[in-house]
Amino acid sequence: MGKSGKSGKSGKTVIPFGPQHPVLPEPLHLKLVMEDEIIVEAIPAIGYVHRGLEKLTEVKEFTQNVFIVERICGICSMMHAQAYCQGIETLMNIQVPDRAKYLRVIWGELHRLHSHLLWLGLLADAFGFESLFMQVWRNREKVMDIMEETAGGRVIISVNAIGGTRRDMSPEVLRKVAVIADEIKEDMMQLEKVFMADYTVKHRLVGVGVLEPDVAYEFGAVGPMARASGIKQDLRTTGYAAYGELDFEPVVETGCDSYARTMVRLREVYQSVDLIKQAIGKIPDGETSVPVKGMPNGEVISRVEQPRGEVLYYLKANGTKNLDRLRIRTPTFANIPTLLKMLPGSQLADVPILILTIDPCISCTER
Amino acid sequence: MIENAFDISKELLHIEVEDSKINGYRFVTATCVDLGNGTFDVIYHFDKDLELKNLRVNVKKEEELPSISNIYFSAILVENEMKELFGLNIKNIAIDYGGHMLLSDEELDSPMAKQQIVIEKRKGDK
Amino acid sequence: MFEMIGNIFRNLSSKPATRKYPFEKRPAFKNARGQISGIDIDQCIFCGICQRKCPADALKVTKAEKSWEIDQFKCIICGACVEVCPKKCIKMEDEYKTSAYKKEAYKAVQNTAPQPPAPKED
Repeated sequence: MGKSGKSGKSGKTVIPFGPQHPVLPEPLHLKLVMEDEIIVEAIPAIGYVHRGLEKLTEVKEFTQNVFIVERICGICSMMHAQAYCQGIETLMNIQVPDRAKYLRVIWGELHRLHSHLLWLGLLADAFGFESLFMQVWRNREKVMDIMEETAGGRVIISVNAIGGTRRDMSPEVLRKVAVIADEIKEDMMQLEKVFMADYTVKHRLVGVGVLEPDVAYEFGAVGPMARASGIKQDLRTTGYAAYGELDFEPVVETGCDSYARTMVRLREVYQSVDLIKQAIGKIPDGETSVPVKGMPNGEVISRVEQPRGEVLYYLKANGTKNLDRLRIRTPTFANIPTLLKMLPGSQLADVPILILTIDPCISCTER
Repeated sequence: MIENAFDISKELLHIEVEDSKINGYRFVTATCVDLGNGTFDVIYHFDKDLELKNLRVNVKKEEELPSISNIYFSAILVENEMKELFGLNIKNIAIDYGGHMLLSDEELDSPMAKQQIVIEKRKGDK
Repeated sequence: MFEMIGNIFRNLSSKPATRKYPFEKRPAFKNARGQISGIDIDQCIFCGICQRKCPADALKVTKAEKSWEIDQFKCIICGACVEVCPKKCIKMEDEYKTSAYKKEAYKAVQNTAPQPPAPKED
């Protein structure tokens, strides 16, 4: 974890929690000011994967931007494209057919499933429980195989287009998706006992990183971080893209610590399986996309619920084929200040667990 | 047009933001748009119960803009990014990276502002 | 710690979950986007729509010398060119593209066959 430098008689040491660390999936740098084993202050430094994608979207045409926007992040890629397409469709007054809305819900919930399974595996790996990590990722492989069979790619599925979706799913494929979703749910119900009741897991998660509800709301926490502190906030209840016709409740826990965040994400896995089966039961027949004519003009804001929280897209167009400005605010960008609030007062050995509970996606943060 | 957008001046910004905090709004983010004629449009987005409220401020290139990070601490990241990428002059940010959060020393300043790119192209042509 | 024991015994007695690659390979799915394998050059009318729609600028179409080339290292395998081609002559394969030794070798420049020669009578 790097060298430490003693500074005079005050007894404080500065330890860099470097950009390269075995537990971090993506580079993030923290300077931890410590006294003995307790952290006093933490200063973040980001900027290791800045690619300048917002500038690139001003140069390419607005139809080519769909492919650029989905490559911002691999884990939430389909929902970036969905937010962009929904924004352009509002500007140009395009009505998306109903079958396309249900297909977007099915692919979106499969994406949420694979993101939460990835996070559960990484958390088990962070406290050294490697066999649990492998068991959870074995289930994730089933989801990746389904995505390759239906949409063509394992990670970047490229299935959203302006005006609908590019591909369709036949009834046999939909039945297969339902069968595999049930298998994943059964497997996770047996692993849930290990997450919830195992003595070593509880010892490392209960009481670590407490965030009270009013502090979480003031610092702008979104997604499972806010829902684990008792704030009932889920953008899917506003009813975009066929969520208005499905029946679900946001998953809320009141523990306010890392154990509650793990429980929220585990219960959202079951909620996603349930939503997929509801959507497969209700999907109507029809076409999957409508043709696009004309140029967008005006400004619009569109928001979508990604696996990590709420993402906000601000689009400004001026009637030509290039956009004037595209601004993206990803959920990890809003969760980093809460990390700065949780770290002071905790032990050094808990820092990897705390960083993982905000579900950091640094390539989304600095696009 | 985006819904619920109010145009305010720079002096009223502080009062309006404090008012939003007392009424229970959550700060979402801030957007900077380069209008191309030497002015920037800075839009602050707030949210309460899943409904948005937007405040728009228009500033010229070298004007100073007061920071809202003493009211909402979570604004430090956004204001540092706008200061670096667009060259906005924001004063009194709670943690100020001094222009090096995202960009390194040898890159050109404020890469996202529109004027800069035109000048660089002329230099390259020579 | 005893909750995992049931899981452990089940894993010991069932077949392994991993495949012994490279001895057995997984067959690719039918609609997967693997690589752009080529073009049916006789059908191409050199309209240039695929070149305008490509987000990575990987295609180059010249009408004067009747050639269509693709830079495989820039291609992001999105499939936009396959969809917009009016004659549907670009082909997408489902095997993922392998690495290459030289960068020049993968530029596939194809020229249309010249008009069939007039039957020689001799």
